[in-house]
Amino acid sequence: MIFSSTLFLFVFLPLTLGIYYIVPRKGRNIVILLASLLFYFWGEQVYFAIMIFSTLVDFTHGLLVEHFLQKEKHKAAKAVVASSIILNLGILFFFKYWDFIAANLENIGFNFMPILNIHLPIGISFFTFQTMSYTIDVYRGDARAQRKIINFGTFVTLFPQLIAGPIIKYKNIGNQIDERIYSLDKFVSGINIFSIGLAKKVLLANNIGLLWETIKETPLTELTVVGVWIGVIAFSLQIYFDFSGYSDMAIGLGKMLGFEFLPNFNYPYISKSITEFWRRWHISLSTWFREYLYIPLGGNRCCKYKWIRNLFIVWSCTGLWHGASWNYLFWGLYFFTILLIEKLFLSKILYKIPTFFQHCYTIFLILISWTIFALEDTAQLIGFLKKMFFVGGASFVDTNTLYYLGQYLPLLCIGFAASTPIGKRFIKKATVLKPILLIIGLLLCTAYLVADTYNPFLYFRF
Amino acid sequence: MHKKYNICITLIFCGFIGIMMLGLIFLPKRDFSSVENRYLEQMPIFSFDKAMNGSYMEDFETFANDHISFRDTWVKLHATAELLCGKKENGGVYFSQDNTLLNRIDEPEIDRIQKNMGYINTFSQNCSVPVYFGLIPTSTHVWSYKLPDNAPTTNEHQWIQQCYEECDASTIDIADTLAGKSNEDIFYRTDHHWTTLGAYYGCNAILQALGKKTLSHKDYTPTTVSKNFYGTTWSSSGAWWINPDTIETWIPDENLHITSWFDTKPEQGKLYHDIYLSKKDQYSYFLGGNQPLCVIETNVSGDKLLAIRDSYADTLAPFLTERFSEIHLLDLRYNKLNVLDYVNENEIDTVLILYGFSSFISDRNLVFLSK
Repeated sequence: MIFSSTLFLFVFLPLTLGIYYIVPRKGRNIVILLASLLFYFWGEQVYFAIMIFSTLVDFTHGLLVEHFLQKEKHKAAKAVVASSIILNLGILFFFKYWDFIAANLENIGFNFMPILNIHLPIGISFFTFQTMSYTIDVYRGDARAQRKIINFGTFVTLFPQLIAGPIIKYKNIGNQIDERIYSLDKFVSGINIFSIGLAKKVLLANNIGLLWETIKETPLTELTVVGVWIGVIAFSLQIYFDFSGYSDMAIGLGKMLGFEFLPNFNYPYISKSITEFWRRWHISLSTWFREYLYIPLGGNRCCKYKWIRNLFIVWSCTGLWHGASWNYLFWGLYFFTILLIEKLFLSKILYKIPTFFQHCYTIFLILISWTIFALEDTAQLIGFLKKMFFVGGASFVDTNTLYYLGQYLPLLCIGFAASTPIGKRFIKKATVLKPILLIIGLLLCTAYLVADTYNPFLYFRF
Repeated sequence: MHKKYNICITLIFCGFIGIMMLGLIFLPKRDFSSVENRYLEQMPIFSFDKAMNGSYMEDFETFANDHISFRDTWVKLHATAELLCGKKENGGVYFSQDNTLLNRIDEPEIDRIQKNMGYINTFSQNCSVPVYFGLIPTSTHVWSYKLPDNAPTTNEHQWIQQCYEECDASTIDIADTLAGKSNEDIFYRTDHHWTTLGAYYGCNAILQALGKKTLSHKDYTPTTVSKNFYGTTWSSSGAWWINPDTIETWIPDENLHITSWFDTKPEQGKLYHDIYLSKKDQYSYFLGGNQPLCVIETNVSGDKLLAIRDSYADTLAPFLTERFSEIHLLDLRYNKLNVLDYVNENEIDTVLILYGFSSFISDRNLVFLSK
């Protein structure tokens, strides 16, 4: 079940909210836990067990770590943390990377790892990271171990963030799991953020995505230079609105239930450097890697060689976290290279050039990065990149390209505007407009969701 | 102010999702959607097995989507929003000039076309009587000048020519005939079929190719039987702002003996089924819609014609009654008999294979011609 579906909006959400607020405070975690389990089971029946397993493992590990720490058995505590990391990464590795490694080994002639055709359990990249960091937080003394299994289960399965993040750290939310403050202000702010997220996903991401799909499926020989660039721009907007929309919905739902999650996106496309971009894009992931990988490795407080090594490891992992395919690794390493160059000398130069060119520089590199990200097929990726830079004689524009440009230009312009804080500034001044915009937004989102399932059967009348 | 605002927002949001939920639960459920022309999903029955393999969830989601309150209105709102956004296309249909809706015709699969041509050639080589083949171009092609600027569409002219070059049967140039009349109402604006006028021109192209005397429009007085026909392209596009079409008849249903096989049993048929004029699917007014076989016997002295056909022939059939003594309309999608045997048993004089371009390029039943 995804948030942007009629089933979620008009069945799951009203029922959950209704029951949640009828039940007295003490019982509300049980309501969330049961709702979340149902939510997950709805999409993942067999691997449901994996999530339960991961929850139980880290619940006991957390208690054990605290137990050993209190008895000052640091080595034992460390061993328990290691066991938690191994188990979580083991699960993640098996489900996400086994087939990728097996297939690549087979290509070079090794057959000892069979290809299992495992499907990736929903949300596994998120909940393994979350439970793993919990045990680490307890070990580091950043959080106290959770003693109630229901509360811990609520933390892991919390449906707003279960399948697509943001990655919630226990140390930030542990207190709210036990006790949280409800207020109408918070609830209303939740409604607003959720609705904005829904509109981003349904009205912008899904529709702009159609343009990208069209261009991606056009045979390479028929693509034009302009067409390829429009496609890449469309994908860049799609992935931003899709992902940030989903995060917004999660944050909004969290607020409706009384939780405060940290923001996950902060207008990444207005960045003036790639370093800044990564402070604004998928913040919960970059801070996770920072806190649980980069800094433990030594961060930048060591010799230059080790610092570069640390950056390299973090960005390889960031790349591969996004998917088990070579292009994601390239994508991570692409950012490693740019960030390294920026940190070594480029940012000093960037500061001196006019802001406009800083934006151009950043947007250009981001567009290239999404090209690498979007195309898992290496041959197609190379073909795309060649076309983008006029290599190998591509025609500049054709009637098809003009047609799609005409069709999508208004939507792309809305997308550009919505990637900047213009709308936010405007809406702050016009409170009266908010309820009207909310109504229009809800109606339009419903119309687009329903139209998506509109499926006239006309064949037999031919 | 602040508190009022909060309450207002909460009421809008919770009221909306709540009302939609109550609507889904309590409003009466439809079995059939006439706009979408399909049966809607029924509430699935829970079983442990279905829950464990996820099929219960899928069915339930389809059920919720199918029965969402005001479903058709949402679809219209979506089409309106797309139009306001500058889109010239929705649901695979182009919003074209002159209040016209034209299907988007994607590049056909060359394999399918070549296979179909192969079946037709095998058939015409084995058939003892003359075989004619005609492809009716789509309204998108004939009215391509009405399409939005640069709208992608396949080069139908080239495809039809290629088919005709490969064809062993005699071919009928319907495309050029219709192209010459493209400023007239030869297709419905809201449906992919040709109108009675279009069928009249088509019929003359066929009669000419067969060496028969053509018809003259002066001999007929058109009667308007419907002014509120909304066809398939209208349904696909959700373009509610488009005016409905009118349906005309030229030939009265007189002195004919018609036998229709709507299922396995023969029953007395008729050229025009008034009952469909009060339904959504008004095109079925002609001959009563899809049927495996329909035989029309007339008082005219002339040849016996077998038409291997799709639904375009429903409008054409009345005109054919003016020149043939018997017309056998055979739809291979529902009737998989041996066509060569049928020709011999019924002493057919001429075989006409007549398809609309869009159904021809995707048809998978012509294989029965070669059996």
